Amino acid sequence: MIRLSGRGRSALIIGFQGIRARKTRTLLSMISLFLGVLAVVIVQAGASIAEKATMGDIELQMGLDGTKQLSVPAGERSTRIVLDAVTGRPDAVAMLNTRAIVGEPGVRPVNEGGGPIGEDWGVPMECDDQGNCTEITTGGPKGQAIEMQVVALTGDVRKFRPYRQSSGEWLDFTTVPMMAPRLVLNKYAAEAFEQYRVPAEMRIKGASANLTPQFVGVVDDGGYMPTAYVRLDELSTWLGTASLSDPNSGELQVLLAGTTPVEQVLTSKLKAIGQDAYVDEIKNREDMAEQLQLMRLVFLSMAGLVLLIGVAGILNVGLATVGERVEEFALRRAVGTPRSLLAGIVLAETLITGLLTSAIAIGVSAAALKAVVTVLGPSEPLLRGVEFPVDAGVAGIVAGLIAGVLGGIIPAIRAAGIPIATVMRA
Amino acid sequence: MTSPIIELQGITKVLKGQKEPRTILDGVDLRVHAGESLAIVGRSGSGKSTLLSVLGLFDRADQGSYALAGRDISRLPEGKAAKLRSSHYGFVFQRFFLLKHLTAAQNVAMALVNGQGWLPRRERRARVMQALEQVEIAHLAKNRPSRMSGGEQQRVAIARALVREPQILLADEPTGALDTETGTLVIDALLAATTRGCSLILVTHDLAHAGRMGRIAHLDKGVLTERVNA
Repeated sequence: MIRLSGRGRSALIIGFQGIRARKTRTLLSMISLFLGVLAVVIVQAGASIAEKATMGDIELQMGLDGTKQLSVPAGERSTRIVLDAVTGRPDAVAMLNTRAIVGEPGVRPVNEGGGPIGEDWGVPMECDDQGNCTEITTGGPKGQAIEMQVVALTGDVRKFRPYRQSSGEWLDFTTVPMMAPRLVLNKYAAEAFEQYRVPAEMRIKGASANLTPQFVGVVDDGGYMPTAYVRLDELSTWLGTASLSDPNSGELQVLLAGTTPVEQVLTSKLKAIGQDAYVDEIKNREDMAEQLQLMRLVFLSMAGLVLLIGVAGILNVGLATVGERVEEFALRRAVGTPRSLLAGIVLAETLITGLLTSAIAIGVSAAALKAVVTVLGPSEPLLRGVEFPVDAGVAGIVAGLIAGVLGGIIPAIRAAGIPIATVMRA
Repeated sequence: MTSPIIELQGITKVLKGQKEPRTILDGVDLRVHAGESLAIVGRSGSGKSTLLSVLGLFDRADQGSYALAGRDISRLPEGKAAKLRSSHYGFVFQRFFLLKHLTAAQNVAMALVNGQGWLPRRERRARVMQALEQVEIAHLAKNRPSRMSGGEQQRVAIARALVREPQILLADEPTGALDTETGTLVIDALLAATTRGCSLILVTHDLAHAGRMGRIAHLDKGVLTERVNA
């Protein structure tokens, strides 16, 4: 525990007495300072929440900081190597992409090509290993079916990409695989199925039969294309590795924990078959740092200006108070109070005022945020689960301290310089 | 004879900053022993308050020496002077200078909460009550100045001066704002301190009060002349 010196304790006692004696003035100082500190707290809180939201969205798509992302060109051999290396490991998850049409049997999907619902992305193309592309013609009339990307997972990917659960539940990798694959939809796919309530048959190119999927949950994955997540072992009952290694599905991705030996094993084995794997470490915060810093700086500068007005208010009141208390300070010097303590008394008063104001401003901001989150949270996903950031509280306290020091320093110097003779000639 | 608690030799103070410098104190010599009481009388502008300022370490003499209990304190830095003011001196002024937002006890405690050492609250309270009892107003400890008479307020100021048990009590016209009867009670309270070994130096215009002191010194145009009271 910090133990104050005799002078420190004296300054605090006298400071509190001074504040109690001049409640109205203290209140006026606090009002002028309140807006400044409030501005700092709100800006800091807003910046933190915005940063968290921005980072949250990026993390959904890119992954958490420190995650390594290994990209391998899709192909049967490379897929086999990847699956052998990562299956059953908790520190690595492979994501294999394919496409599926889910809905009314025998019809063309409403979003041919798998683009967002309501957007015409033209006729989908298919390319072979040599890069020769042709139009895909599924035949049949357009009907109640959705084309979407299907991501087959070897394990729980959320430890690398923290998808937000919107409803239902996430895939359970601890149970025995089911014949009817369980799908977790992203919100775009879920919205599409909300719009087109159709018998759910799932058609995947290369599957031994059309499947009957089970929708178990909806997540926000930060993507804007209809997507479904499925356990690889449930999909592979119906679909061979060759179909999951379709070059049209793009690259095969493996998400790895920063320290896993899987990375070295995989890159070596892939190199042996002439495949170069590209490994990238996710550094979202570092990549965004400059942009976030600039945004924060701009807003803090504006808050600083408002705080400066508050400081001017506290300074004004402080100077007026010292002017009124000339005799008191002269008397205190006469009874042996050192100049430094006189300055300390004035600083203690302004610091206490600053800190009290900070506490109120922080309390008001936290309460206001809680109220906003309670009222608007259910309809505004961005506000869901938002809490008052600790750094906004710290910024408020620092602002209060700075305002206390800046607003008190000149009155303190003036108080320390009052001659004792003032009491002799009064 | 014991050595004096206060010994001034050739104290000279010149007021500068005017067209011609004005000598306020002109070679003042003064010795005060422990437990003595001394009145300094003189006309307005004769330098009484300036002498008290020098004695109380509020101000420094331009020339001469000032010894406190044999130790030269003529050129003491402000920090050390403040410490001495706290430990050795008590001050009573014409205006009482009580802080109106504090009670009598808190006003007295002000001399203890001055950054010169720290006393626990219980000890502080005991010493405050003892000082208030010495001036017979312990029953007013919780009253604010606005609810006290002039005489009571001045006695609170005396208690404030006595609470650190000073060796020297300097009083500048302490009865100037009081009626004769109340003034007499205040002088009684001040003289009571001398019975406990405290030296009292009283600046006053009132010759009746001066007459109650052990010695009277007359200050005229900065020159101090002294006679022993009959």
